[in-house]
Amino acid sequence: MSGLLSILRKLKSTPDQEVRILLLGLDNGGKTTLLKHLASEDISHITPTQGFNIKSVQSQGFKLNVWDIGGQRKIRPYWRNYFENTDLLIYVIDSADRKRFEETGQELAELLDEEKLSGVPVLIFANKQDLLTAAPASEIAEGLNLHTIRDRIWQIQACSALTGEGIQEGINWLCKNVNSKKK
Amino acid sequence: MLGYIWHYVYSSFLRHWLKWLIRQVTGQCELQRICSTYKPGAPRTSRAEHSLRSSKSKVLREALESNRDKLEQRVEEIIKVKNIKPQKDPLFKGSLHVCLLQITGYSSLCVSVEDLRKKVFDSEDQDHEAMLFNLWGLLMPTVKLESRMTKQWGDIGFQGDDPKTDFRGMGMLGLINLVFFSENYTEEARQVLSHANHPKLGYSYAIVGINLTEMAYSLLRSGALKSHFYNTVEGTPELQHFHQLYCYLAYEFDKFWLAEEPESIMHFNQYREKFHDKIKTLLQEPDVGLRLTVQSGKK
Repeated sequence: MSGLLSILRKLKSTPDQEVRILLLGLDNGGKTTLLKHLASEDISHITPTQGFNIKSVQSQGFKLNVWDIGGQRKIRPYWRNYFENTDLLIYVIDSADRKRFEETGQELAELLDEEKLSGVPVLIFANKQDLLTAAPASEIAEGLNLHTIRDRIWQIQACSALTGEGIQEGINWLCKNVNSKKK
Repeated sequence: MLGYIWHYVYSSFLRHWLKWLIRQVTGQCELQRICSTYKPGAPRTSRAEHSLRSSKSKVLREALESNRDKLEQRVEEIIKVKNIKPQKDPLFKGSLHVCLLQITGYSSLCVSVEDLRKKVFDSEDQDHEAMLFNLWGLLMPTVKLESRMTKQWGDIGFQGDDPKTDFRGMGMLGLINLVFFSENYTEEARQVLSHANHPKLGYSYAIVGINLTEMAYSLLRSGALKSHFYNTVEGTPELQHFHQLYCYLAYEFDKFWLAEEPESIMHFNQYREKFHDKIKTLLQEPDVGLRLTVQSGKK
C-alpha cells in the first residue's frame, strides 16, 4: 500500500522551485507596470505604490514570487526589510528620466553594497524604451559603471513595460541564473 | 449544473408565463407593479432596470440606451407598447421617467469619468497647472511654493519634485478629485492632511488620494455604485456626485486608517483592501447612501 502511494507521489510532478525576486528602483520607473505585465494583468489603471505589491508568476518550472516595493524617497528606508532570502534582484530604471540618472545610480550602488544582498544576481531593466527620449541600455550601463561589478553576475536589458518588449528576455536570463548566487 | 438549467428554463420560459399570469390577475404589467410596490431609489430603480433589460420587447430594452432628452418620448412608447392606461395609474409615468434618468445617467457618468481619467496631466496646459497650484494653496494656505519643481510637493503627499508623474493611470480625474475635496471640504481636507503627515501613522496624502480615486473608479465601472447613486440622486447622476463619493472615501479612509493603527505605511495595500471590502459590503445594502457627514455638523 505504501509502495503504491509513493509511486503515485512520484507521478505527481515535482512542485516548482520557489524564487524570491525583489523589484526595486526610483518612483515612476515602471516597477508596478512591469509586475502587472508579468502577471498578464491590465496596466492602464496603475497608481503610485504605497507600500508594496506582491505577485506569484509561474515561469519555466519556477514559481517566481515578485515583490514590488514602492520607490518614493520617503519609503526607500523600508527596502532593507525585504532583503532577507532574496534570490534575484531586478532594478528598474526610467531610461528617459536623465535628470535622475545620478540618483538612481546612487541607490543601485548602495543596494549592491548591502550585505544581505551580497552575491545576488542583478538584472537591470532599462525601461521606457518606447519613449523617443529614452537613453539606450549601453549608455546607461556606461553611466552607471556596471562593468565594475565583480562580486555577482549581472545583466542590463532594454525593455518597455508598456509594450512588453524585452521583458521575456530579461525573465529568461533570471530563470537561467536562479541558482548562481555567489556564496 | 441543475441551477444553471433552472436559470435557463426560468429566464427563457417560466418568467414570461409567470409575468403573463400575474398581469391577467392584477391588470398591471411588471413595471407598474415595481413602481407602485417599491419606494423610489435603488429598490425601485434596480428592479426596473432588470425588468427592462430582460424584456422581450425591443422598445423596452432600447430605452436603457436612450439619450437623456429622448427619455420622455421613450416612456410614452413604453406606455403604448405595454398598453397601460395612464388614468388608472397616474404616477407611473413620472416614476418610470425618474428610473430611466437614473439608469441611463449612470452609463453616461461612466463615460464622462472615463474621459477625465484618460486625459493626461499636461504641464504645458495652463488650466492643469493652475489646478495644481490651486490644490497647494487650498491645503497649505500659509506656505509659499518656492518653485514649480520642488521637494515641497512632498508635504502634501506627492512622491517627488514634480507631481506630474504621480497621476498615471488616473490622469486628470485624480487631480480633479483632490481639488474638489479641498475646495468643498477645506477644513476636513486639511485635517486629513495633518493626519497623513503624522510621523508614525502617516501616509502620502496625494498619492493615497489618487489611489482612492482608483477605488471609486473601479467601483463605478463594476456597477457597484448603482444603488448608492439611485438612492442619493433623484435624476441623472453627474460628475459632481462622483467627486462627492471620492470625498466620502478620502474622509472615511483616513478615519479607518487611524483607527486601525497600522505598523507602517508598508502595510498600506493590506488595509486598503480591508477598507475596500468594507465599502463593498455597505454598497450591497438596498438603502445605501455614502454621504460624507462631518462631525461638527456643518455640511
